[in-house]
Amino acid sequence: MSTETQTFNAVVDELEPIRDFVTEKALAAGADNRKNYALCLAIDEIATNIMRYGYPLAGITDGKIDVTITTGENTLTIILEDSAVPFDPMHHMLPTDDDLNKPLEDRPIGGLGIMLAQQSVDELKYEYVNSKNRNIFIVNI
Amino acid sequence: MNITFKKSGDVEIAEIEGSIDSKTAPELQQSILNVIAATSKIILDMTKVGFVSSAGLRVLLMVYRQLKGKDGKIVLVGVSDEIKDVMFMTGFISFFEIEKSLDEALHKISA
Repeated sequence: MSTETQTFNAVVDELEPIRDFVTEKALAAGADNRKNYALCLAIDEIATNIMRYGYPLAGITDGKIDVTITTGENTLTIILEDSAVPFDPMHHMLPTDDDLNKPLEDRPIGGLGIMLAQQSVDELKYEYVNSKNRNIFIVNI
Repeated sequence: MNITFKKSGDVEIAEIEGSIDSKTAPELQQSILNVIAATSKIILDMTKVGFVSSAGLRVLLMVYRQLKGKDGKIVLVGVSDEIKDVMFMTGFISFFEIEKSLDEALHKISA
């Protein structure tokens, strides 16, 4: 079991460096490209929400996101921690099956990111601890 | 992310390189919308695109809507299996023509 944490500025320029950090650890842990992509997607969607809504709503302009990656025997656990407004992605309005079957021209534009995040990892958990949001992504390898 | 446009007859071909995420999507959307203001057929060559998030899907959605409004056509080329997964999960896959090569896409869009 090994754990490493890196801190990133909560700005969209950091999305690619965050994906690079995750990819390095995921591939080293034995994830294939498909699994790594799905994991990066889930993290990207949640990190984007923190950057674009979480910190601006909190009035914080120099927010950070701590990314902690723990490689276990058969699992990879990634924790995003931020001090933005509390936001539980599990209790967010998701597109319904009805929305997803609508022609593209009639579709609501939001909500897809969180749905993708939930569907792209084996488990997505949320905690609010010590005034921090903690999004926990778990993938089986 | 880089985007290069070239023309083949009345078809615009946009070759995209890099990642389409929340950082790069606004620029991509603006450049494609500028181009399709003057044309109704576009091919997006995504052979060199490694990553697309929901921000990228939103670009596809905007382009699709613009073109639909004027009876235009869009064809995608070189979409990786991982990106197809994302399009499948969101139901986008059934609205887009996806071809393996640029030649096939040109044939399809001109038909």
